[in-house]
Amino acid sequence: MSTQQRGGPLQGVRVLELTKVWAGPYVGKLLAYLGAEVIRVESEGSLDVTRTFGVDDIDNAPGWQSVNPQKLSVQINMKSEEGIKLILDLVGECDILVENLRPGAVKRLGLGYETVKAANPEIIYVSMGMWGSDGPLAYQTGYAPCFAALGGISALVGHEPGAPEGMNTRYADSTFGAAAAYAALVALLHRKRSGVGQFVDVSAVECMSSMISDSIMDYALNGVVHECDGNRHPEMAPHGVYPARGGEWVSIAAANGKQWAGLAECMGKPELARDPRFATLADRKANEDELDEMIAVWTAGCCPMELVTKLQKRGVSAAKSQSSLDLIADPHLWVREFYRDVTDPDGNSKPTLGPSWEMSRPAQLGDAAPRLGQHNAYILGEILGLSGEEQETLRASGVTR
Amino acid sequence: MSALRGTKVLELAEGVAGEYCGKLLADFGAEVIKLERPGSGSPTRALGPFAAQGDDPERSGLFAFLNTNKYSVTVDLASDDGRETLRQLLGKVDAVIDDHAVDWLCEVGLDPERLEQDWPRLVVASITPFGSTLPEDRTYAQDLNVFHSSGWGYHTPSAPDASKPPLNAAGRFLPSYESGMEAALCIAASLYEQDDSGLGRFIDISMQQVLTARCDYVVAQMVAGEMAVGPERTAYDLAGPAGIFRCRDGYAYIWMSTPQHWDGLRQLLDDNAWMDEFPPNWLERGCTPERVALCRKHVAAWLLTQDKHEVAAQAQKLGLTLVAVNNGRDLQESPQYQHRGFFAEVEHPVQGKALYPTVPYRLSETPACIERPAPLLGEHSDEQLGALADASSGGAA
Repeated sequence: MSTQQRGGPLQGVRVLELTKVWAGPYVGKLLAYLGAEVIRVESEGSLDVTRTFGVDDIDNAPGWQSVNPQKLSVQINMKSEEGIKLILDLVGECDILVENLRPGAVKRLGLGYETVKAANPEIIYVSMGMWGSDGPLAYQTGYAPCFAALGGISALVGHEPGAPEGMNTRYADSTFGAAAAYAALVALLHRKRSGVGQFVDVSAVECMSSMISDSIMDYALNGVVHECDGNRHPEMAPHGVYPARGGEWVSIAAANGKQWAGLAECMGKPELARDPRFATLADRKANEDELDEMIAVWTAGCCPMELVTKLQKRGVSAAKSQSSLDLIADPHLWVREFYRDVTDPDGNSKPTLGPSWEMSRPAQLGDAAPRLGQHNAYILGEILGLSGEEQETLRASGVTR
Repeated sequence: MSALRGTKVLELAEGVAGEYCGKLLADFGAEVIKLERPGSGSPTRALGPFAAQGDDPERSGLFAFLNTNKYSVTVDLASDDGRETLRQLLGKVDAVIDDHAVDWLCEVGLDPERLEQDWPRLVVASITPFGSTLPEDRTYAQDLNVFHSSGWGYHTPSAPDASKPPLNAAGRFLPSYESGMEAALCIAASLYEQDDSGLGRFIDISMQQVLTARCDYVVAQMVAGEMAVGPERTAYDLAGPAGIFRCRDGYAYIWMSTPQHWDGLRQLLDDNAWMDEFPPNWLERGCTPERVALCRKHVAAWLLTQDKHEVAAQAQKLGLTLVAVNNGRDLQESPQYQHRGFFAEVEHPVQGKALYPTVPYRLSETPACIERPAPLLGEHSDEQLGALADASSGGAA
């Protein structure tokens, strides 16, 4: 229904976001990067915490800027009856609605699925909750690391068996968002082919379990409960992260016997590949502590990039463990325009992250995240057809502030 | 009713990333034809976990999970006949999934540069560690290497012991699952457009970029120069007493960042006199390392006396975000997962019955569904290739 002409596979699709923080907004970001017109509903009285966290200028908050490029912002107060009516009017002009408010919040606001469906029977309504929208534990709330702990991720990450440390605390929200975005598009495709909208109910904890499905399968088939095991891998050895010069680290994985032989050559000890302690995968698994120790002694004094170049030349899977400094300077990510400039509402350009994909006939990306209410006139005036006078009345009465 | 009924997909992929992408489509009803090499079949058939029953190549639980609802057709792409079969199949399908290096795609006749002329209607998704264009020193990569090139590895775990190496992601294939899901997203979007335009599209997914983008909240701030970058392994971390603690029967994760959380903790603890030394808003305004350490010490001692599920239920009622650290058994026994049917019983003809994990979304009209177990190697060769032969002889007549 959108009139924006930015190209991309989702040109013409309009998305309404009733979202907070990261997971919900990530859905909108992916859809916007595929060409959809994405509208975030905001209000002065209920600002996203990423607009205010650690900064004074809500229109230049770095966290907000990170997850909301290429979106539109409209101010509507969801705590007013008139505001809810406006949102329902807007729903009539949208294809997808995404919400990740606290459990039960949309219903209390008068924006539950049944109400929204009455306003637009074809709407795709995406509901995101830690445990999903129903069930005995659906009342519970948590942050990203809780999703990872509950979903089985954290238990698998740690140096010693039986002592879980978990992935980095930032992991989970965006994965949850990506799964919701995919499900939303499948529903949209179904609507295109059948005319029928639907309710899409996404669980953050289930998203986490999905990322370790094969580990869960071992319990399903054999009753085996997996534990953390450092950087070990049942089908590859060596497989680890080894120290390099200057406190840096390099990841090395010998995917097969040929890669192991290549690694042994790089180490200047080609005979290791024929050594009975290390000849087969089973041998290397049986003597893995010794193997890791030898590799670590070899890597410890070396420059990590020289190691990687040398290993790659011999066909061995290896990559530097990139710090934030390495990541930002990674030339490959600049060449591929993963890092790219967008223009903020004041006309200044600044770099941000583009999509993970390149595609033919992509959506054009150019706009940084919106100022609060930057698109009020377009959304209230052009989409909802309110006159200037009507818009002014709504603003004065606090409905659109 | 399945949402993708009628959509035809050819899966050339032989890795977890591409096969997971195909599964996500197949579980919504897409007809996914999986090409497998004669003899050994997909390399994922040789990877565990293995079922107790059965022989190679039909005993891999990994393959069984990744290939539900698909059709297996064996084709030798090194032969002329095989190439001709591939050409015929490409003429029948809406989308193609691959996860080999792009050179391989060119070799089998799907050069991205020539796609628009040769196959204008095809959506082709390619998933590779670093994308279709890559520097020489990134030719060989496993999921571990991708994870560590993305920024996640160096910063895992949070608050690390500096003497120990940074860690891999959870399980063997997290980067592949993430990237397969991203490819499915791009394919669904492209099919949406293809329905109107009749046009295909080449989609070039870089696994490194997928993972780095999954930390956009942090990395975009760094790229924009608004957050400090450096060699610290804590650069992604948040301050505070959050963390994993040992319980009587396992582990629990506790998150505390607000006065409400602090108040919830006070109500849970019998011995809470130590809390009086802390300002009520210390989590927001006075989160010093000393206070964090003291708080963690007391929380650790207390949780050692608790059971994870019980203490989590009590904490949630008081507004404290404390949850169990679940393992594979906990998940299968979870009343929430049982309620939502996250596990589905699948009967595999060789491996027998098992409760498979399904997908993390419920669609009210078109739920994802496992209608058929993963195919045996070449199970559908006769049926699918026979249909091709009929179609081509029909065409000739």
